Amino acid sequence: MSVPVRVSFLLSMLFIGVAAAASATESATAVEMPSITFEMDVQPLLTRYGCNAGACHGKSRGQNGFALSLLGFDSDFDFDSLVLQGRGRRVSAAAPGLSLLLQKATGQIPHGGGERFVVDSPQYGLLRQWVEAGFPRTPADAPQLVGVIVEPENRSLAIEENFALTVKAQFSDGSERDVTDASAFQSNDTTVLKVDADGLIQAGSVPGETAVMVRYRNHIAVCSVTIPLTGQIADEVYENFQRNNEIDGLVWKKLKLLGMLPSSPASETTFHRRAYLRAIGRLPTPEETLAFCADEGTDKRERLVASLLERPEYADFWANKWADLLRPNPYRVGIKAVWMLDAWLREAFRENKPYDQFVRELVTARGSSWRNGATVIFRDRPLTVEIASSVSQMFLGVRLECAKCHHHPFEVWSQDDFFGFAAFFSRVGRRGGLSPPISGGEELIFTKSSGQIEHGRTGVPVLPTVLNGPPLELGAESDPRQVLADWMTDESNPYFAKVMANRVWAEIMGRGLVEPVDDMRTTNPASNESLLDYLADDFQEHDYDIKHLIQRIMNSHVFSLGSTPSKWNVADHNNFSRFYRQRLRAEVLLDAVNDVLDVEENFAAMPPGSRAVQLWTHRSTSLFLDTFGRPDPNQDPPCERIPDSTTPQILHLMNSPELNSKLSLDSARTAKLAESELANEEIVKDAFLRVYCRLPTADEIKIALKSLTGLDQRRKAVEDLFWALLNTPEFLFID
Amino acid sequence: MAIHRNCEGIQRRDCLQLGVGALLGGGLVDTLRVRAMAGDRSANKTSCILIWLSGGPSHFETFDPKPDAPSEIRGEFSAIPTKVPGVFFSENMKRLAAISDRMTIVRSIRHNQNNHGAGNHYMMTGAPTRIPVSCGAFVSFHPSMGSVVSAERGAPDGLPPYFSLPSMVRSGGPNFLGSRHAPFVVSGNPNDESFRVRDVTIPKELDDGRAVSRQKLRDELDSLLRFTDRAAGDPVVEVDENVHQAVSLITSPAAQKAFEIHREPEKTRDRYCRTEFGQQALLARRLVEAGVPFVTINNGGWDDHAGIFPRFKERADDFDPTVATLIEDLDERGLLETTLVIVMGEFGRTPKITTLNGHAQPGRDHWSSAISVLVAGCGTPGGQIVGSTDRKGYTAKENIYGPENLVSSTYLKLGIKPDKILYNRDGRPVHLVSDSRPIAEIM
Repeated sequence: MSVPVRVSFLLSMLFIGVAAAASATESATAVEMPSITFEMDVQPLLTRYGCNAGACHGKSRGQNGFALSLLGFDSDFDFDSLVLQGRGRRVSAAAPGLSLLLQKATGQIPHGGGERFVVDSPQYGLLRQWVEAGFPRTPADAPQLVGVIVEPENRSLAIEENFALTVKAQFSDGSERDVTDASAFQSNDTTVLKVDADGLIQAGSVPGETAVMVRYRNHIAVCSVTIPLTGQIADEVYENFQRNNEIDGLVWKKLKLLGMLPSSPASETTFHRRAYLRAIGRLPTPEETLAFCADEGTDKRERLVASLLERPEYADFWANKWADLLRPNPYRVGIKAVWMLDAWLREAFRENKPYDQFVRELVTARGSSWRNGATVIFRDRPLTVEIASSVSQMFLGVRLECAKCHHHPFEVWSQDDFFGFAAFFSRVGRRGGLSPPISGGEELIFTKSSGQIEHGRTGVPVLPTVLNGPPLELGAESDPRQVLADWMTDESNPYFAKVMANRVWAEIMGRGLVEPVDDMRTTNPASNESLLDYLADDFQEHDYDIKHLIQRIMNSHVFSLGSTPSKWNVADHNNFSRFYRQRLRAEVLLDAVNDVLDVEENFAAMPPGSRAVQLWTHRSTSLFLDTFGRPDPNQDPPCERIPDSTTPQILHLMNSPELNSKLSLDSARTAKLAESELANEEIVKDAFLRVYCRLPTADEIKIALKSLTGLDQRRKAVEDLFWALLNTPEFLFID
Repeated sequence: MAIHRNCEGIQRRDCLQLGVGALLGGGLVDTLRVRAMAGDRSANKTSCILIWLSGGPSHFETFDPKPDAPSEIRGEFSAIPTKVPGVFFSENMKRLAAISDRMTIVRSIRHNQNNHGAGNHYMMTGAPTRIPVSCGAFVSFHPSMGSVVSAERGAPDGLPPYFSLPSMVRSGGPNFLGSRHAPFVVSGNPNDESFRVRDVTIPKELDDGRAVSRQKLRDELDSLLRFTDRAAGDPVVEVDENVHQAVSLITSPAAQKAFEIHREPEKTRDRYCRTEFGQQALLARRLVEAGVPFVTINNGGWDDHAGIFPRFKERADDFDPTVATLIEDLDERGLLETTLVIVMGEFGRTPKITTLNGHAQPGRDHWSSAISVLVAGCGTPGGQIVGSTDRKGYTAKENIYGPENLVSSTYLKLGIKPDKILYNRDGRPVHLVSDSRPIAEIM
């Protein structure tokens, strides 16, 4: 038994040697390091083969008694677990071949994770050599790993083409080592390209772009790959595209890189309807549509956007979006606090509060949860770690939460970073407000003169530390939250303006430059980094004026593109070569139905005539809103809004008694039209203008007229016409 | 968005391979057994009716009476023999006692969440809440059983796969599975003369001709361009699929028949009891017959802090006969073999009878250390008692199981592997059930 193993081991050492020998021996001679060590060689393999993944031994309780730190962020823990625990069975220097590590990994004895590699493999040889050498660790004074680079960092690739990545580890003494064999690779989008265990990238059959993440120990690097469309498009084609502002140029530049062409502009009425829905969340009236069409001014679109942002509906619509992010669970904070936060949000958007001030007021909020709505975010998140995670994700796009328990799997953030950030909230004082969720009591939020947070793993108190910054000694007189807000809103902050620019872009264009919109990291690059940079800079230069940002985006030519794809952009989902259709969100849709029919909705806890976007709590019951996926406050996170289309939605529109009774109300538009002196053709036009915000085509008039004359009662016929239009996707979608 | 579905940087397939085995602790044999159970093809015809007793039913007054305990624990009711020798129920469960040979009572479920919000979540989803919550909370951190079944199984004829009558149970939602797997709530009272299932039938003001002409007009006017190339990912194409499903639900005689409770013979309707709950149970049976895999009946009012004895006297008439009829009826129709009936709430009740301040009548408070659950059908042995509590009903002491085991058993019976790994919206792997061992005695 031992003979063939020995032979294969020698063979395998030959394999490793080819790739790594030169640089490995270099560093070995420099510091007399053991040739194979736990940190340098063994841990990377545990990561590469998924042993320490979250679903396997990396989960907090381990797997079958064998626990590793997630993705190897804690070398001491892993060494302890592998060498010292398990009664010495996991690795045995006396009988290396019998080590569970080797036998399990190669499937020689039953292993829940199956065979990870074979006995003849270089990996086996490496692990075995490490065991035979008596489990050497990297000496503490050896050069530290400081970074990982991948070569190349960018690459344009033809369809079906492939190339190999090289990964190099950089050490504190300036040395480098090729660690391609010990790295793990992952493609962000496997339809665009696949990457194998050895770092060989294989382009798929569709053009596109994506990033490949490379991980070696706790470090990551990213290679961005573009697979342009095949075919020649002359440069002047791009040069001739319309440029309303800088956004257009940056989008065209990206499309040129991909070999894509934009869709034709949307029709005038499609643009008009889209602008209303995007800026203020309501449909234009027939009069507004006709006036816009009749307007012959060349600047009528800019004027439209500017005037929309001055309308009162603006504040309710955008506050409603922010309520998705901030609205608390009433069972946690009490109903009055929910109302206070909602009122605070609406006021902020009514006065167009600059975004830096908006965030500062939230992050540093003090006072009563019954007087200052901004304090409610603290009442909703009673634990220091909760408010810290929310603030970093919402306003910085950094998902520090992962780093609460383990090293962030795709980022540089460690537990030190998480607790350093959380420490800014360690002096938040609270008084009153019985324990949620039973109580609706008043709670006071203030800043205490002392308080600290302990590191989740080491238990040592942690000083407030901004991301990538030094620990701060803050005296009793200073408010750590003020310090944090200063840092967040400082113009040098690399995250703050970008996250909001990306959010607003996503609200208007239907998709973020970064998706998910609050997950900004090297390994999740923006689809157009220079565009995001431009938007963030422009937003900052204009004093964080949200209306300015909206206007900038809506005035671009890109905003006015049609949704119809061509073969030059059909697969585009994040480069904005066409407009991406989106179903109207629940509140907007309900308001639209009511506007079309000239009827009012009665909501609990709201004055008569209120619109759905004005609702301040999801406890106000509405089957319609629930069916169309407004956030369920009982879900965690409560802010999740469902954009999907579902069969119950269709059934609700078709058959719900509420909607059908609205259609046949005496006071509804349907009855008014039927009883009016208007000719049938005028009625058809009114219906199309109200529901689709455009005039009908000749064919459509013909079809509708036929049905209007088909029924003996004109009123029923008009109801049917409105029913039919309200049940088509052209009504349901922003196109 | 295909980015980072998997937080750990390894392929999903690897996780699936790694997921099994180790979780079970029992090793390979258990693993294979679980796989065999879950892989059984006939499981795809199985359904579950969950009768949710919201508030937490007393185990003493239902299936775990303690006739030998002191009177302040025993309560007003006596224990009665059941069809199975040596097995006793509380006297108010007379009809169920008469068919105790067709069910298993698990008397030894326990957990540590002694308030409604958290207990509800634990029993409905098989997962404890991520953060502490208390009584008033309506929370969801994990998909409920019904939503999981909806996602994994689907239903024929455009029928929604998960119904909840007359409302959603607090933690009965889909969480990260998305709203398409939320329960289809039928809020009307099926005992009403005018009862209709919402939205699935054409409004009664419309005669058939007009309904058809409306649809036709819509189809003719629906001119929005569809981008049929799948690469375009046009959401309107999805809507078309939903419309197709909706129309097939509206026009499928099989589906519509399931909703038309009025077609049921008067005798059957009476047998189920002419109450809202009785007719909900009957509607549930009809839905299951039509192929719906999961129906929840949310039956409220079991939080008997006060007035527990008069309430149970009423339940002898309005609860016991309905559940017994449901089981008998399913059995007579040959449906019990494939239909799992579960009757449970969020917890049991305190052994000691107390009268709360401000109340005149005594009751029992929340008690999660001893929970009795009725399980029948779908291969569950009849006439069986699983586990037991101590002499005074304080705590489960033999064959103790957690909500995880009950939920795992349900999934296995419905052909779903409880050790499956799901991905939440952040792309983090989540175990469907963290302890995927079923309650062996009911499998």
